[in-house]
Amino acid sequence: MKTKEKSLALGVGVLAVLSVFLVWYFAASYTKVSLFFPTPQRVFQRFVESLTVPIGKYTLLMHVLYSLKRVFIGFGLSSITGIILGVAMGYSKTVNAIVRPIFNIIRPIPGLAWIPLAILWFGIGETTKYFIIFMGGFANIVLNSFDGTNKVNPTLVGAAELLGANKFQIFTNIILPSAIPYIFAGLQVSLSTSWMAVLAAEMISSYEGAGWIINMGMNTGDTVLILVGMISIAIIGFALANIMRVLERRLCSWTERGK
Amino acid sequence: MDGKGKITVRCKDLCKTFYAKNRKQDEENEVIRNLNLEVRENEFLVLFGPGQCGKTTILNLMAGLVEPTSGEIEVNGKKVDGPSKDRGMVYQTTALFPWMSVMKNVSFGPRMQGVKKAEWKKRAQYYIDLVGLTGFEDSYPVKLSGGMQQRVGIARAYCNDPDVIFMDEPFGHLDAQTRYLMEEEIEKICSKEKRTVIFVTNNVEEAIYLADRIVVLTDMPTTVKKEYMIEIPRPRDYTSKQFLSLREEITQCVEISGTFEEAGHGDE
Repeated sequence: MKTKEKSLALGVGVLAVLSVFLVWYFAASYTKVSLFFPTPQRVFQRFVESLTVPIGKYTLLMHVLYSLKRVFIGFGLSSITGIILGVAMGYSKTVNAIVRPIFNIIRPIPGLAWIPLAILWFGIGETTKYFIIFMGGFANIVLNSFDGTNKVNPTLVGAAELLGANKFQIFTNIILPSAIPYIFAGLQVSLSTSWMAVLAAEMISSYEGAGWIINMGMNTGDTVLILVGMISIAIIGFALANIMRVLERRLCSWTERGK
Repeated sequence: MDGKGKITVRCKDLCKTFYAKNRKQDEENEVIRNLNLEVRENEFLVLFGPGQCGKTTILNLMAGLVEPTSGEIEVNGKKVDGPSKDRGMVYQTTALFPWMSVMKNVSFGPRMQGVKKAEWKKRAQYYIDLVGLTGFEDSYPVKLSGGMQQRVGIARAYCNDPDVIFMDEPFGHLDAQTRYLMEEEIEKICSKEKRTVIFVTNNVEEAIYLADRIVVLTDMPTTVKKEYMIEIPRPRDYTSKQFLSLREEITQCVEISGTFEEAGHGDE
C-alpha cells in the first residue's frame, strides 16, 4: 500500500516536471517569448559546455566551488559563534540578560542590509562576503540554540542530579543533547539563508562565483548564461539541504523525527 | 517483618506550602502539614492517598528536589539538602534520557561517578537482565513500549545502588494488563534486590499487592491518616479473602474524608 502510494506520487511528480519542460520548450520555440527565453536544449547544451569551457576566468564547476568555499567559511563562523552564544544565553540567565537587548536590536535587520556597510568597512574583498554570509545566518542559529538549551526538560535535569551527575556532567549529558534537534533546525534554515547571502554578495562585487555568473549574464544580455547560473544554484541548494538532513538523521536518531 | 531495624528515612513535622503569584494576590497552597514518617531499612512502604493529595510533593521533598517550608528529612541519619545519588527515583511518566540507549540510560549513575567501563557495563547488564530487557541494550527509549520504558527507569534507579528508591505512581500510565504484569515484576525484583522502597499510588489493589506497610494519607494539606501493616504472605492473590477485606477497609478509610480534589497545586 505504502509503496504503491509512493510510486504513484513519484509518477505524478515526474509528469509535472515534464510538462513544465514541455511548456517551456514550446513557448521558447514557437512564440515571441523566445527572444528572452532560450529553449531548454540550449540551456542544457551551455550547461554541459561550461563544465569545460571557462566563463570569464573559470569553468562552471570552479565558480560553484568558489561560492561554496565562501558559504562554508561564513556559515562555519556563524554556526560556531551562534551556537556558543545561544547555548550560553539559554544556560545562564545573566548572559541572556546582558546579550538579549543588543541581540534584539540587530536581529530584525536582514543579512543583506549589511552589504553597503560591509563594503565600506571591509572593501570588496572576501572579508565582506564572509561578513554578509555570517550576518545572514547568525541570528537564526543563536535563537534556536537558545530555545533548545532553555527548553530542557527540568524533570530530566532532576533525574540526572538524583543519579549523581554534577553541573558540568548535566550540561554535557543532558542540556546539550536535548538542544541538538533545535540547533539543527537553526542550522538548516541558516545554511539556506547563507547560500542566498553568498549569491547576493557575489552579484554585487566579485569576479567569480555562481552569483557572478548570473550577473554577468544580465550585463551581457545572455539569458542562457543566467539560466545556467540559476540551475547550478538550484542543484547546490538542493544538495546542501539534503546533506544537512542526512547529518540530522545521523545525530538525532533518538527523536521521533529521526527514524 | 521483624518489626524493628534501622530507620532509613525519617520525616519530622514536615510542612510544605507553595506560594504562587497570581494576577492580583499572592496565592498560598498548603500541600503538606506536619507529616511524620519513619521508614525502616528494606521496607516496601506504600504511600496511598486520594487523587492529587501531594504525594509527588512528598517524594520530591524526600528526594531533595524541593525544599520543605519547615520540618526535617533525614536519610540514614543525614539531613537531606538537595538531590544526591543516595536516593533514586522512578518517575510517573518515564524520565529516561531519550538520546541514550537502554544501556547508557541504565548505566548513567555509575558512569557519572567515574566507575570503570568494564564495571558499569557488567552492573548495567545485570539490571537490564533483571528487568527482562535482555536484547534491548542498544535500543533508544522512543522504540520501547510504555511498560518497557518503565522497566528501564527501574533498572536505572537500582543500578545506581541508592539507599532508598522512590517510585512515583510508576505504573499509573500503563494499561491494566501491563500494570498487573509490572506489579508482579517489581515484586520479584524487590525480593531479589532488597532495598528501601517508597512507592506512591492511588490504586488500592496495587498498594496491598506490593506493600509491607501502607500509609494512608489525608486530603490536602496532607498528613498521615492511618497505617496498615500488610502481613499477607507473598506472592499475594488479588482475590483472596484477606486481600478483599483489607481492600474494603482501606477504601472506606479513604472515602470517609473523600472530598473532591482541587486542581492546580504542587503535583506536576
